[in-house]
Amino acid sequence: MADKSVKLTIDGKEIEVEPDIYILEAAERLGIWIPTLCNYRGLTPFGVCRMCTVEVARGTRVRLVTSCNHPVSDGLVVRTNTERVRTARRILVELLCARHGKVGVIKRLAENVGVTKPRFGEGDEPCILCGLCVRACDEMAKANAIGFAQRGTDKIVTTPYHEESETCINCGACAKVCPTGAIYIEGAQELRHDELALGPNAAIAVPTMQAVPNVPRLDADACLHFTTGGCGICATNCPAKAIDYEMQDKEIEVKAGTVVVATGFQVFDPSVAEQYGYGRLPNVITSLEFERLSNAAGPTGGKILLRNGTPPASVAILHCIGSRDEHYHRYCSRVCCMYSLKFAHLVHEKLGARVYQLYIDMRTFGKGYEEFYDRLLKEGALFIRGKGAEVTPGVPGGAEAGKLVVKCEDTLAGVQRRIPVDMVVLSVALEARSDAREVERLFNLCRSEDGFFLEQHPKLAPVETTTDGVFLAGCCQSPKDIPDTVAQGGAAASQALSLILRGETTLSGACAEVNPDLCSGCRVCNELCPYSAISYDAEKKVSAVNESLCKACGTCVAACPSGAIKGKHFTKEQILAEIEGVLR
Amino acid sequence: MATRTAREPAVDLAPAEGLINAYVESREATIALLQDVQKLYGYLPRPVLDLIARRLDLPRTQLYGLATFYKAFSLVPRGRHCITVCTGTTCHVKGAPHLLATLERELGCRCGETTKDGRFTLERVNCVGACARAPIVVIDEKPHGRLSPAKVIKTIERYE
Amino acid sequence: MKIRSIADLDRIKEEGLGLLYPNRTKIVVGTATCGLAAGAGEVLEAFRRAAGEGGLDAVVEESGCIGFCQMEPLVTVHRPGTPKIVYHAMTPKKAEALCRELREGRLSSAGALGEIRCETALLTGEERRFAANGGGGAGAALPDFDDLPFYRKQLKIALRNCGYIDPEDIRHYIARGGYYTLRAVLAERTPDEIIDEITKSGLRGRGGGGFPTGRKWRSCRNAPGARRYVICNADEGDPGAFMDRSLLEGDPHGMLEGMIIGAFAIGSDRGYIYVRNEYPQAVKKLMRALEECRAYGLLGADIMGSGVSFDVTINRGGGAFVCGESTALMASIEGKVGEPRAKYIHTVEQGLHNLPTCLNNVETWANVPVVMHKGAAWFASIGTEGSKGTKVFSLVGDVKHSGLIEVPMGISIREVLYDIGGGIEEGHRFKAVQTGGPSGGTILVDEKGATVRTSTPSEDGAPLGFVPESLLDLPVDFDSLTEAGSMMGSGGMIVMDEKNCMVDIARYYISFLCEESCGRCLPCREGLRQMAAILDRITSGRGEHGDIELLEELGAVVMDTSLCALGGTAANPPLSTIRYFRDEYEAHIYDKKCPAGVCKALIRFVIDPAACTGCGACRAACPVGAVKEGAALPAPVEGDPAAPRKARLLHEIEQAACIKCGACADACKFNAVRKE
Repeated sequence: MADKSVKLTIDGKEIEVEPDIYILEAAERLGIWIPTLCNYRGLTPFGVCRMCTVEVARGTRVRLVTSCNHPVSDGLVVRTNTERVRTARRILVELLCARHGKVGVIKRLAENVGVTKPRFGEGDEPCILCGLCVRACDEMAKANAIGFAQRGTDKIVTTPYHEESETCINCGACAKVCPTGAIYIEGAQELRHDELALGPNAAIAVPTMQAVPNVPRLDADACLHFTTGGCGICATNCPAKAIDYEMQDKEIEVKAGTVVVATGFQVFDPSVAEQYGYGRLPNVITSLEFERLSNAAGPTGGKILLRNGTPPASVAILHCIGSRDEHYHRYCSRVCCMYSLKFAHLVHEKLGARVYQLYIDMRTFGKGYEEFYDRLLKEGALFIRGKGAEVTPGVPGGAEAGKLVVKCEDTLAGVQRRIPVDMVVLSVALEARSDAREVERLFNLCRSEDGFFLEQHPKLAPVETTTDGVFLAGCCQSPKDIPDTVAQGGAAASQALSLILRGETTLSGACAEVNPDLCSGCRVCNELCPYSAISYDAEKKVSAVNESLCKACGTCVAACPSGAIKGKHFTKEQILAEIEGVLR
Repeated sequence: MATRTAREPAVDLAPAEGLINAYVESREATIALLQDVQKLYGYLPRPVLDLIARRLDLPRTQLYGLATFYKAFSLVPRGRHCITVCTGTTCHVKGAPHLLATLERELGCRCGETTKDGRFTLERVNCVGACARAPIVVIDEKPHGRLSPAKVIKTIERYE
Repeated sequence: MKIRSIADLDRIKEEGLGLLYPNRTKIVVGTATCGLAAGAGEVLEAFRRAAGEGGLDAVVEESGCIGFCQMEPLVTVHRPGTPKIVYHAMTPKKAEALCRELREGRLSSAGALGEIRCETALLTGEERRFAANGGGGAGAALPDFDDLPFYRKQLKIALRNCGYIDPEDIRHYIARGGYYTLRAVLAERTPDEIIDEITKSGLRGRGGGGFPTGRKWRSCRNAPGARRYVICNADEGDPGAFMDRSLLEGDPHGMLEGMIIGAFAIGSDRGYIYVRNEYPQAVKKLMRALEECRAYGLLGADIMGSGVSFDVTINRGGGAFVCGESTALMASIEGKVGEPRAKYIHTVEQGLHNLPTCLNNVETWANVPVVMHKGAAWFASIGTEGSKGTKVFSLVGDVKHSGLIEVPMGISIREVLYDIGGGIEEGHRFKAVQTGGPSGGTILVDEKGATVRTSTPSEDGAPLGFVPESLLDLPVDFDSLTEAGSMMGSGGMIVMDEKNCMVDIARYYISFLCEESCGRCLPCREGLRQMAAILDRITSGRGEHGDIELLEELGAVVMDTSLCALGGTAANPPLSTIRYFRDEYEAHIYDKKCPAGVCKALIRFVIDPAACTGCGACRAACPVGAVKEGAALPAPVEGDPAAPRKARLLHEIEQAACIKCGACADACKFNAVRKE
């Protein structure tokens, strides 16, 4: 607050505010309702709907002003509900009704100010010329695609020459701010399903209800501020002033004695398996996408819908896409059978649609899993043993017209089948993250053939790694379901804690040691050490061994060209003496 | 205001370029530039507006808004002669509505339109400030005062 | 040649005087817009021809309007040593006749309005007397021009040079004392002294608001800003007002000199003149004046060697009434659409480009050199307590003498209407005076002139004032009119007689505003639309009970809630006419009659068979062929003196085809066509 604050009185209540705000905002802070149509926080006040008219007195002079753009000042006395104000609002609403009386926002206003029968009739011109869209397009999107044209009673909002604008960036900001719904995005329904992606529809949103941390995230590629330099409405509206566009990614250094690697997995991208038509055929979606679709916080509010907005009458769920497949991953992803059963259950419950499960074999190994499978059988889900082979568009003209056809071999019946369905869900594999290699290097881990991190011992040390103090948890180690993940996480945490709680650690006496007097600083040992235990001290120009990392393997001792490194307890002399003792 | 006609002739942009160059320095002269363009071409041809938008880096919405806000501009070609009927208060009470009705009937076009043969554009203006000579009709910047419906018909006959 | 000293000015003045009063016959044709509308162009050509090919030894010059627009084209003929003779309603033919007389060395007084016996330049105080009775030819002695009723009560300050000089020659202006004041101010006065002088003089804005000019200048000078602008508002949009046009066409330097002085006082180096697009003549003359000023070193860098720099740009309007509003005007100069903005922060602090801006109207600027030259005391001696100096009005409508007049503040409306204007035309009754254009009110006088009523909103938008006692003798000045609930307005005065329908006038103004509103704010745009619909309904005979009350309620809110002054005064025409002519509204609504016989839907033309002579003039005049031949009447019976003398073919009007233009009534010489 640069200038000192000012005190004003609104409806008899005194309030102290900063000097650069308008009456409307001050009234809001006092909880006083003032109707407005053309005001939108973050956009320049326009003062044209005049709904926010209030009475202002300075000295003996009393006049009506618009509260949205009248600055506050010391000693200002504002009245928001006098007879003069009420009369003005009533007539203004009647004038609005004459333009567009059928829209909800104006009907509600009419109710609020007590207009029951508008005397100038009820028009149906949707645009009330509040200018929000024009300002949004200019100030938020910086696109200037729409503007005012003509004047007086002929004034309209339009694009130049009423043609499709070449500068429109399809951001939809205009439609978003339009209070009467006069602007709509053609094919918006379709657009949403196209983008149904897992993602939120706005450039800033909490990614999912379960997201950790559960805070909004800005998508710089979709954000108008980053793409056009405009908007900034989220920052304007954030009461906590938490939005900072200048914020950059930064590296944080944390000193830790132990590390739990829980980097998770990624899902298999089924578009490489072209036979399933993912990305090519509409209504072929992945299991994760289906999860978003049926989520109450998802883009459709939990309704399972096809791209055209109608509910499917039949759904095929194809198991083992990318798993148990020589071409992609030989392993079983362990979770797909169960979630596929859950999906079938949801479809049944929500739509009563027909569900096909195309499986190789059902792996319902966990506690209560088999019982759930039984329940689904009873619910009437259709199980076909045989992996889905191909998804194609239905042959036009017949029963398959407009549908997707799943081809498969029903190995129990021994027949080839074509199953026409409306929607295909691909139960895709869990795979190691594409950046697992970097993590592997960072922590000196090992990975197994399938790309997941390797534990120190499959039975005796399932959460430890080859590096002391580094533990594994969850799907970064191998695909696993939630109970297993939780269990492993608990194990890793307790292992880590047992080290931390001790507060100190006992080092083995055997480790390498550099004699700084002999070290030439050639750094040959730095690169060779498999445990990254040797670092170079640039000041002293010699290398040194971190005793807590060294495993006393002796590689450096053997490699040092100057003979500056010796293995404690395994010096040349000691070894020779040992040999001598043996030979004696 | 009508915005399109079928017959929009091809436009030579070269003279417009010259005008724009003269204005490139001062942004605030957009309206003066449009007035010059209007004078040069008789209207604001669309390619010229597009050119101005590009050269002066102005949003097309702004130019279109200006062109439709101010009465001095037209987005469609005008006739060879411009008949402007003054409908200021004095002219109104002295019979300007009759003059306008007579002209509309005589020319076969409504106010704001151009005759089919491209001879006249009929417009009106709210006062030319020669009220003592009301009612006034201005033809191509030349004012004619104290007109009656019969006289105005005779007057326009002099313009080919 | 740049003017740097008084000697330079003196030299140019001498030259100018030689041009103003040459040693041979001088013919001056008034070619302002009003003159041109009356055919001054052709007249000028005729004189030029006579002086050229005709071999007449005479100088032919143009000048602005001398004010008596009614009588245009006005021509002044000056033979050295004789008074100037002013001829009115000149035609090319009359011009030729005049030239013939001149060649013969005489000059008849036929068609002359009067003779100018003495000319005084206001600024220099120099008088030039011409020998009286210089007609030299046949004819009666001519009246003194300045003593004509139209001029007798006038006092010309702003219009001091209009009609007397060639506006396109700066030497003429200097010959009458122009730019001496600028030179004196630049050399001898500080900006603060100038503002003090203006403040003391009591000069107030002539655009209608009447804001004290000195105070405005002071606020602007004191407002913080990197740069300051001065603007001359010449976007005279009120229909029926043409003071600015006449001033700019007749004496552009008068305004410019004031503007340069103002810029120096305020500390501005950049000025704008925003001229209405409909005034091509004014623009032409202004451009010429700016060129001359630059050539003579009166604009640009280092004006008259004083080190002060100032230059001016002309901005032509785009044909939008709303641009007369100061913030809309500034938006227009900035190259935007002319939409006003909220004035919660004043333009003297944040105006053009958000910098301090001082905007004054043409007439205000034109007064400045006089105030500075003659002094605040002199100026303050003219006018009333609160309103000093003079005011220019355009007096038009149903008044005998219409034209541009300048009168001292405090003169009564009666004097303006009856002494200067000559009263209402014969056979008609006075009904109302409309002032202030679409935003103004109506001052009303009943037929006997006994009761005068006035209306317009007061400052805080309170309902219209009503002054029951006689207003005819109300002095014309800012405060009296404001106190009485009216306002001075920019200077349009439209006199209306009983032929005017007040509902139609209200409808006219509202439809005018529908078109001219910028359309930005809801009450103005939609309110006007609804008012227009209601008034349309009433004038077309579909008015309903309750319409008047609805108009009143709606009008009050539109004025109360609109963003700018256009909407803030928009409902004045219907509200003031309802207030004083409610009976006319009621006649339209309940009786379906238009008492003034204007509203087409409520009148019809009929031919009185008793008066019709069957001449057929009406049939020829009818543009739509609605007049038909009717029954033939045989020749009259002998001995009936009341019967017409011969056989006639009666005419009838087919009502379905009639467009009610009234051409038949105008054509009928026997008053047989009647309006019902």
